[in-house]
Amino acid sequence: MSGVVLRNVRKSFGAVDIIKDVSLTVQKGEFGVFVGPSGCGKSTLLRMIAGLEDTTSGMIEIGGRDVTAVEPSRRGVAMVFQSYALYPHLSVAENMAFSLRLAKKSRAEREEKVREAARILQLTDHLEKRPAQLSGGQRQRVAIGRAIVREPEVFLFDEPLSNLDAELRVQMRLELSRLHNQIGATMIYVTHDQVEAMTLADDIFVLKGGVVQQSGAPLRLYDDPDNRFVAGFIGSPSMNFLSGTVTGHSAQGIVVASEEGALEAHLTERPALGTTVILGVRPEHLAPAESGIPVTVEMAEELGGNAYVHCRLNSGADIVFERRGLRDRLDGQRVRLSADPSQIYCFAPEGLRLR
Amino acid sequence: MAMIRNQRRHRLVAYSLILPFVAIFSLVFAYPIVEVIRLSFTNATLIGGGEWVGLQNYRELLSDKLFYTSLKNNGYFVLLTVVPTTAIALGIALMVQRLSGRLQALALALFFLPYILPVSVVTQIWAWMLDFQFGVLQPVLELIAGKPIPVFKNPHWVMPMVALVTIWWTNGFNVLLLLAGLRNIPQDLYEASALDGANRRQQFARITWPLLWPVVALVLTLQLILQLKLFDQVYLLSEGGPFNSSYVLLLMVYREAFQQNNGGYAAAISLVVFLLIVTVSVLQYQLLRIRGRK
Repeated sequence: MSGVVLRNVRKSFGAVDIIKDVSLTVQKGEFGVFVGPSGCGKSTLLRMIAGLEDTTSGMIEIGGRDVTAVEPSRRGVAMVFQSYALYPHLSVAENMAFSLRLAKKSRAEREEKVREAARILQLTDHLEKRPAQLSGGQRQRVAIGRAIVREPEVFLFDEPLSNLDAELRVQMRLELSRLHNQIGATMIYVTHDQVEAMTLADDIFVLKGGVVQQSGAPLRLYDDPDNRFVAGFIGSPSMNFLSGTVTGHSAQGIVVASEEGALEAHLTERPALGTTVILGVRPEHLAPAESGIPVTVEMAEELGGNAYVHCRLNSGADIVFERRGLRDRLDGQRVRLSADPSQIYCFAPEGLRLR
Repeated sequence: MAMIRNQRRHRLVAYSLILPFVAIFSLVFAYPIVEVIRLSFTNATLIGGGEWVGLQNYRELLSDKLFYTSLKNNGYFVLLTVVPTTAIALGIALMVQRLSGRLQALALALFFLPYILPVSVVTQIWAWMLDFQFGVLQPVLELIAGKPIPVFKNPHWVMPMVALVTIWWTNGFNVLLLLAGLRNIPQDLYEASALDGANRRQQFARITWPLLWPVVALVLTLQLILQLKLFDQVYLLSEGGPFNSSYVLLLMVYREAFQQNNGGYAAAISLVVFLLIVTVSVLQYQLLRIRGRK
C-alpha cells in the first residue's frame, strides 16, 4: 500500500524549471524527509503535494488516488507551515477546530477531537488563549494540533522547526518522532538541516536543482553516497574532499597522489593512471599516521567526548578529522593524515561516485 | 555603562526641542480655538469686539429652523457616503489585490487619480458632465428617470449627486488604506485555510473580514469625520439649494460669518459642529472596536 507517489513530476515558473522530473515514493506510514540547500525546490515539491502549487506535468498519487488536479482540501493532507500560519483572531481551540467547523461537524465531535489533540500535544491548559499569547514551541504544537484533528492520510511539514531556538528544536524533533510512532500516519518533512533529516527520517530524499540526487535510509545515504553532493551534504561536520591524480593501481584499488602525499582507496573499476579523481573522507575516518597527507594543525573544537581538529593542507584548503578520548593538543604541529582504504570514497571530477 | 547626565541641561534640551511645535500649535490652533469659544458668547461681527451675550447665540441656534435642516442634510449625506464609499473601496481593493505587479500599480493609480484633483476641478468636471443641456451623462439619467434632469437644481437629486461626486473624488484613498490592510494579512493563512477546506467565500468571512476589520473601522471613522465637514462640493455645485435641500452646517457657518457678518453666531455654530464631529466619531470608533473584539 503506497502513501505518496510522485511520477515524473515537473514544475516550471515561466521558462524556469524548479522541479525537473521527480519520481519518488513515500510508503504508507513512513516518515519521508526532503532535504537540500535553499532553492533546491524541496518546499515547492511539498506545496505541490499539498495542492498549493499546481503541477506542470506528471502525476501525484496519495493513497493510490490520483490527486494531481484535486483541490488541497480534498487530498487528505494536512500541512504545518514554517510560519505556523495560525489564525491570529481565533483561540487555540478555534484554530484547531477550524477545519471541523467548515466541515459542519457537530459541536460534541469538534470538542472531543480538539481535546484529544490538545492532550497529545499538552495544550489542554492553553485552549482559550490566542496564538499571540503562546511561546514559539506552543504555537508550533497548535499548528500540529490543527493538522491532527483533520486525521489526514498524510502530514506535510514545511521546515517546521526553523523558527525555534536550538534547544527547543531538539525537543520538538523528539516529539515529532514520538508523534509519528503514536499516530502512524505518512509524514513528509522538508528541511535544510541534515541533522533533522538524519534523526527523523525513515527515508531521506536529497534534492538539488530540482532533481532528487539520491534517496534511501539515512545511514545508507551516509555510508554509500551516490555522488559528491550527497556525500558532502549528509554528515556533520561534512566530508573532506581532496583532488588528486591516480598514480598507481593496488591490489584492491588505486593509489592517488594528492596534496604532496598519497592515499590508497578501494575501487572495483579502476580509472587509468593519470586520471584526476576527487577523494572523499569523513572526519571520523581520518587519523594521524606515518604516511599520508601532510597537514598543519590549526585548532581543535573540543567537545569533551570527541574533538574536531581543523587543519590546513599545503595548498591552503581546510581538512577536519575527529579524535576521541585523547587529551593532548596538536595545535601548530605538522602531522600526516591517513585513512583505511575501504573508508575512502572516490568521485569523478563531475561529482559521480566511482565504485 | 551607566550614563550620568546633567538633569537640568537634559531638560533644557528637551524643552528647546518641543518649543517650535508648542509655539506654532499655540499660534494656529490653541489660540484660535480659545478665541472661537470666546467669540461664541458675544455678538461680535467678524472683525471687532462685540459684547458678551452669554448663551444667547446658542439659544438662537436651537430655535433656528435652518440649523435643523442643515443637520438633517448632513446626516443624509453621511448615510449616502460613509458606508457606500467604504463598501465600494473594499470591493475595489479586493479586486485590485488579485492583480499582480505592474497591472496592480496601474489599477491603483487609476483609482487614486481623482483624489489628487482639486475640488474645484472635480466639481467643474461633474457640473459639465451633468449639465442639463449638454451633459454627457444626461442620456443615462434619461434612461433612469425618463427625462433629462437638472440634478443640482432638483431637491431630490442634489444630495445623492453630491454624494456620488464625493465618492468618485475620495474613494481612491480608501482603496489605498484597505489595500494596505489586505496586504498585511499573511498569504499563508489563505493557504492554511484552503487546506482546511475553506472556499473563497468562507476565506473572506472567516479570515479577511475579521483581520481587516480594524482598517475598515478606521476608514469608516475617517470618512464620517470627512463627510460631516462637507462644504466645498455643495458650495461649488448647488450653493445649498434648491430650497435649502443641500444646505449643510458648514455652509451655515460660512454664510453667517462671511456674508451676514455675524462672527459670534458663526463661532457658536462651528463650535457645535466641532463637538458634534468629536462626539459622533469617538462614539462610532469605540462601537466599531467593541464589535471587532467580539
